[in-house]
Amino acid sequence: MRPVYVLGVGAHPWGKFPNKPQLQLALDAMGLALKDANLEWNDLQALVAASSRFEGGMGWGLHANEIVQAVAEKGIPATNVGGGCAAGGIAVHSAFSMIASGQCEVAAAVGAERMPKGFIPRPPGIPNDITDSDYLRWVAMGATNPAYWALETRRRMHDFGTTEETLAQASVLMHHNAVANPLARYRKECTVAEVLASPVVSDPLHILEICAVSDGAAAVVLGSEEQARKRGGPMVQVAGCAIATGQFGDPAVRIPTVSMAAGHSTPHTSEVVGAVHAAYAMAGVEPKDIDLVELADNTAWHVLAWPEFFGFFEPGQSDWMLRKGEMAIDGRLPVNPSGGFLSFGEATTAQGVLQVCEIAWQLRGQAEGRQVQGARLGMTAVLGLGANGASVILKT
Amino acid sequence: MTSMQSVPVAQGLFTTQDGEVRLIGTHCRSCNTSYFPQALSCRNPLCRDKHIEETLLGPHGTLYSYTRQTYQPPALFRMDHWEPYVIGLIELPQGIRVMGMLTACEPDTLRIGMAVELTAQALYHDEEGREVLTYKFKPVHTSAAQAPTHSGAIA
Repeated sequence: MRPVYVLGVGAHPWGKFPNKPQLQLALDAMGLALKDANLEWNDLQALVAASSRFEGGMGWGLHANEIVQAVAEKGIPATNVGGGCAAGGIAVHSAFSMIASGQCEVAAAVGAERMPKGFIPRPPGIPNDITDSDYLRWVAMGATNPAYWALETRRRMHDFGTTEETLAQASVLMHHNAVANPLARYRKECTVAEVLASPVVSDPLHILEICAVSDGAAAVVLGSEEQARKRGGPMVQVAGCAIATGQFGDPAVRIPTVSMAAGHSTPHTSEVVGAVHAAYAMAGVEPKDIDLVELADNTAWHVLAWPEFFGFFEPGQSDWMLRKGEMAIDGRLPVNPSGGFLSFGEATTAQGVLQVCEIAWQLRGQAEGRQVQGARLGMTAVLGLGANGASVILKT
Repeated sequence: MTSMQSVPVAQGLFTTQDGEVRLIGTHCRSCNTSYFPQALSCRNPLCRDKHIEETLLGPHGTLYSYTRQTYQPPALFRMDHWEPYVIGLIELPQGIRVMGMLTACEPDTLRIGMAVELTAQALYHDEEGREVLTYKFKPVHTSAAQAPTHSGAIA
């Protein structure tokens, strides 16, 4: 493997854009990333699209070839990858692998999504029987995605004494960070009282503690060392880049299954923890070396639980760290200086790519108003439906 | 009440034989792992033989966690008279935790670790007027611990 560098990053703001086609969102993000890399469409040697079942392509989601065809049709390899909300991280990993293996000098990963409104329903075209747990969870008990996270949250309250106020505080921090981020959809401060007064979706989780669904797009252009030197500016290297799937015995209440093994020592949300540990190993770093993390905060529970799962804090310690301000931008471990999913709303396939963009901006010192001072090493972590995980570590 | 025909929400999910509600799962004889619903194979990567057989899970367990859903789930889920309800995560003695609706309980009285047992209840009536049953868990009241498990809710 040879070293891989970030040449350019770009993102379209998150929000609702019913009049803007998904393809246009993708082109906007790609245009920004290429411009940031001082490159033209014609310089691109491979494109990986993060795809979902919601929209795009020939029914298989965002279609890399369609993006290329729209602006620079020249026969380059175009790949589409799935993996739920982790698809963006998986796409970055695919582009990374193409550079690292020497297959090409410049490759990009892009995610662009327009989400349906409300609860994410079941996709069409799958069998109506118990071999499909996404059928079973609906017909047998109507378990929505927030209910799964709520079960985790209630259990955390039982195990560690996490309070409703601390959970609300996690949401308050995410919204505070987003105020300075022009890409975020929700950029308004909120208070613990406002979070607790917002409607309960699946108790103990309130609507302000669960990410909304949004439209958005993000792109990352990666390249070889030679390409990075040609671009000039700070050299941002992809120090670790890993994808993983779930492990047997994982105690997580995994969407959309309705049961899990008890009594094993497997890590919780092992698909993400597995990717994070593989990324640590590739980068040759430990949790204490990481200056900031962008993690997929589908709920306030994730803001507390995941830093513990990733080895930053001891189990149960996050509550105290949060209350002491140690997860804030000027704290010991800044968590989601971007504002996270809670402030962006989830544009599934674009989310994992956006995380990498944010880390790159932070390492270059370009995260205006939300800059983590002296950030040299940043990590992303994202989970996707169906037990997919991805993690990227960038360094300067 | 006239006796009414009833059907489960999905075939192969649970049984109400002899008035006792049990979940239909899979047990791996080779590594002693239980699965629900029925599994096509044992998923343990260290298990080589993967000798699986049908097994019945429950009826008793303990409440591991719970949540009360206050928004109506999207279509595919059906309920005759929708109102917010509780979903529980129940630890069964067979080394497995199972999600299911809770019934016969007030949310305020729920406690993690409390004893629960399986029951079957109508979710809705289908186009042919049949009761469509799902499995649920209900608290076991110590004073009534010896009561037959099919009392009450089973059609």
